[in-house]
Amino acid sequence: MICAGIDVGSRAIKAVLFDTERREILASGLAAQGVAQERLAADLFDSLLKNARLERPCVSGIVATGYGRHAIRFADTTVTEITCHARGVYWLAPDARSVIEIGGQDSKVIGLENGGRVRDFAMNDRCAAGTGRFLEMVAARLEMDWDKLAQLGRQGTKPAQISNICAVFAETEIIGLLAEGAPLPDVVAGVQNAIATRVAALAGRLLSPPVYFTGGVALLPGMARALEEVLACPVQVSPRPQFTGALGAALSAAATPTSAG
Amino acid sequence: MKSALTGDAAGLPTAAGSDGRPAPLAWFAGMMDHCYDYAEAAKSQGRPIVGIMCEFTPREIILAAGAVPVCLCGGSAATIPAAEQFLPANLCPLIKSTFGYHVTGKNPFLNWADLVVAETACDGKKKMFELMSATKPMYILELPQKADDPDALEHWTAEVRKFKDYMDQRFHTHITDAKLRDAARLMNRERALRRQLADLLTLDSPPLTGRQLSEFKSIISGIEEDLQQYERAIQLFRANPAPSGTARPQIRVLLTGVPIVHGAERVLELIENAGAVVVAQENCTGLKPILDDVDADGPDPLRAIARKYYHLPCSVMTPNTRRLDTLRSLAAKFRPHCVIELIWQACLTYDVESFHVRKLAAEELLLPHLKITTDYSPSDSARISARLEALFETIRARRAL
Repeated sequence: MICAGIDVGSRAIKAVLFDTERREILASGLAAQGVAQERLAADLFDSLLKNARLERPCVSGIVATGYGRHAIRFADTTVTEITCHARGVYWLAPDARSVIEIGGQDSKVIGLENGGRVRDFAMNDRCAAGTGRFLEMVAARLEMDWDKLAQLGRQGTKPAQISNICAVFAETEIIGLLAEGAPLPDVVAGVQNAIATRVAALAGRLLSPPVYFTGGVALLPGMARALEEVLACPVQVSPRPQFTGALGAALSAAATPTSAG
Repeated sequence: MKSALTGDAAGLPTAAGSDGRPAPLAWFAGMMDHCYDYAEAAKSQGRPIVGIMCEFTPREIILAAGAVPVCLCGGSAATIPAAEQFLPANLCPLIKSTFGYHVTGKNPFLNWADLVVAETACDGKKKMFELMSATKPMYILELPQKADDPDALEHWTAEVRKFKDYMDQRFHTHITDAKLRDAARLMNRERALRRQLADLLTLDSPPLTGRQLSEFKSIISGIEEDLQQYERAIQLFRANPAPSGTARPQIRVLLTGVPIVHGAERVLELIENAGAVVVAQENCTGLKPILDDVDADGPDPLRAIARKYYHLPCSVMTPNTRRLDTLRSLAAKFRPHCVIELIWQACLTYDVESFHVRKLAAEELLLPHLKITTDYSPSDSARISARLEALFETIRARRAL
């Protein structure tokens, strides 16, 4: 049986085709988010099918997840990103007991119980300070791309103190720090620490090792280290961090009785 | 003016009964209008209107003085910008909304009020009342905070007695023990009827939703037609139980935390729209103030009134063990699958006390606990819904519902 998962995130749409008999990912892909979410998701889905030499009727179930999940009418059902990331990470790393996910506009911490089910979770409220949006804003302010940002963060020796309460105020703080002549690597490392501290406040009671880090922000190498320092425990980057939500959605489609056709 | 306070009717059936009277749900959908008419008529008959903002205020004293007790708590986001000209933005939305009505003059009940009772049950309200007192006659009722200290209860009893004496002097009445007993009996009747309605949600397939139950209330207590409509509703729902075993079993939610004032039911609706039913509300707009009655036949009715109100398990009391006891007994009676706690932004006492509620849920009730901190603006509704859906997915996976 072949199932599909589509993760409609704030910055990108991710899709995974999964073969439940062979227990493997047949195809995965990513498209930038835009206005016509459903059409973008459908185009991405069709391109994956083409890569895997499949047709739509071959797919027995489609689950949509992510903040735009309700916009995907061709999906059979929706499952929240919390359940999906837990499922996806657990499938890739069955020793995982906690998941930290940082995406474009969300950060969440999920505690897992045996079997990879969600035991408890916490999610950011109205503030983007602990999310990828904050990093994007900083990259834009410092006029550099994502890779350069990661590289600089690693060079920081004395991370600057930056507010973790409000992304907008943090930006004005950064302008102030630059005006005072603070070294750029220290500013970037400070931003990463601010995000990590924010996520650590969410984590609190939920975190038990091994901790896996997923979501688009996990691709930024300095972030896992910043989290390790603040949480004082090892943090491993999940395999395929951008796709754990879509993979979890595909696994959910496989587990949904109504789609087992 | 009348419609300014009228909230949504929550999609409730409005058909009239065979006797031509409106169906109970329809009657309470028009609650604000009925209260308006009632207060307007009372005012024209010379009855004083007394505004209250807290369940600690004994309505019996106000009723025994022949006055009309009206709850002034604001549930509208629309009045908050006006309040923020005077109050800090980082304050509880209930306080800001109430004060916003004061600033804009859009709450007819507050405009009519001959007196506002300023309870010291929370620091935010207490200091807001100081601002309001510049233009509104106010009586301060001081609440001690040691729930189990006999001296504290004595002080509270003295406060209630002083309030009674003030009412006598201010409105030229004479509140006798007999009047206090009558008022207590009336309030006991109202509390008992609302309890019976709430108890319908102990059923496996409740005949009404938590949102519908929340319609069965009035900002003015002791209106005879309201009481009769409560009675009719109980008969109606008992005679027409929900069909059982048809739909997918619903997730049962015990909701606790801050009051959900008329017009501020957004989170309650988000919970039920995500496929759950709120079977019990442990808060001041739900069961909390109606679980206990006043001993109307004892030797000292004023003391009995003071005792009943003093034992309200509000987070301002310390330690507030009665709230945890209440949650234990509600969990046993209503059989929830989870505990959801609602905290209005900047409500420090409920926010901090959430630690104990989470611990109780996790270690004793063995139920998942979700805390939602928000205010009256709908901007985080999608995020709250995602958390609710994830919680319900977890429960369904665990219980195979």
